[in-house]
Amino acid sequence: MLKYTTVEKNDFLLVSLEGDLDIEGTEVVNEELIPELVHYHSINISLEKVPFVDSSGMGLLISLVNTLKEQNVKITISDVQDDVFEVFELIQLPEILGEEVFI
Amino acid sequence: MFRRELSLNNPEPDNKTKTLEREIKLARNIQMKLLNGNNPKIENGQISGISIPARLIGGDYYDFYLLSNGKLRIVIGDVMGKGIPAAMLMILTRGAFRSAAESTKGPGETLTAMNNAMYEDLRTLGSFVTVLCADWDPCQRTLTYASAGHNLPLVVKSIHEVFEAPKIKGVMLGGLPSTSYEENSIKIEEEELVFFYTDGITEALNQDGEMFRIDRLEETLKKNYGLDVKEMEESITNSIDKFTENVPQKDDITMVLLKVNHDQTNITSYNSPVINP
Repeated sequence: MLKYTTVEKNDFLLVSLEGDLDIEGTEVVNEELIPELVHYHSINISLEKVPFVDSSGMGLLISLVNTLKEQNVKITISDVQDDVFEVFELIQLPEILGEEVFI
Repeated sequence: MFRRELSLNNPEPDNKTKTLEREIKLARNIQMKLLNGNNPKIENGQISGISIPARLIGGDYYDFYLLSNGKLRIVIGDVMGKGIPAAMLMILTRGAFRSAAESTKGPGETLTAMNNAMYEDLRTLGSFVTVLCADWDPCQRTLTYASAGHNLPLVVKSIHEVFEAPKIKGVMLGGLPSTSYEENSIKIEEEELVFFYTDGITEALNQDGEMFRIDRLEETLKKNYGLDVKEMEESITNSIDKFTENVPQKDDITMVLLKVNHDQTNITSYNSPVINP
């Protein structure tokens, strides 16, 4: 089950996701995470503890990034595991979300 | 009369559940009929496809379409999510493929046309679809393919050798507007088998939370080299069942198998729609 922790520094929020990012994470991302994050100016999401992302999880990630961008929140994603990033590249996620999102 | 109308408009909870169950079953029947249509019969070759939804209905998709130049267009796709929402988008994908297949020259163009047709809807719905499209040329024995973020097919050459078709990039449908898709071609020799699949196979979990992974899939394919497509299909499903034991299936599982027999392959029948019956 997907969990997350947050650390706040001024206007910046560091979000660490933990667990598989798949359809089970729909409620956590859409109903908890997104409403909480729209109040910040700058956010980094660490995927260090996310070993697996399936197609539904990628949809959630796209929806998360796009929603925050629409609210003028600066968002970056870091610490993506190699296996996971390989899948991101296969579907050209960096091109879809913007190359600058992945740091 | 009035009472009857009233009861229809305000069904009891039990009736509501029954109505819902009935509608889901009907939806499942529609999907199964559309999905598991007749496999084309290929002279000196075999093709087969199967889709096993994780729930009553699913979001995986495969289809075949015979082109006027004698080639067979194959498509396999995976809609984001599962269950009823994914099934609705799967029907949308099927429609987009069927109209695109008729008017496009190659698999790359087909994916571009499908993305153009579906992009707005998929963005509105916050969803996307990964699709692999391939043209099988039975005369030249070439497989030309393009991918919209979908995993590439495996080619089983012998009991000792299986390889993944060379990588090509491509954004999933609904990812970017007006995008184009690269194509690549490979030769398929006699007795070789091409295996198209969705990630429900490689990501099937066992009781320890371990995935089936591509390594086990490749081993199963090599071990069963030489079987006909239906037998191979059964071997793969048995192998997944044996691995997962009683763990409930988490994602839809879909595979399409193309095997080239000796001699020249000709497509003799197909399930593309009859426009003017």
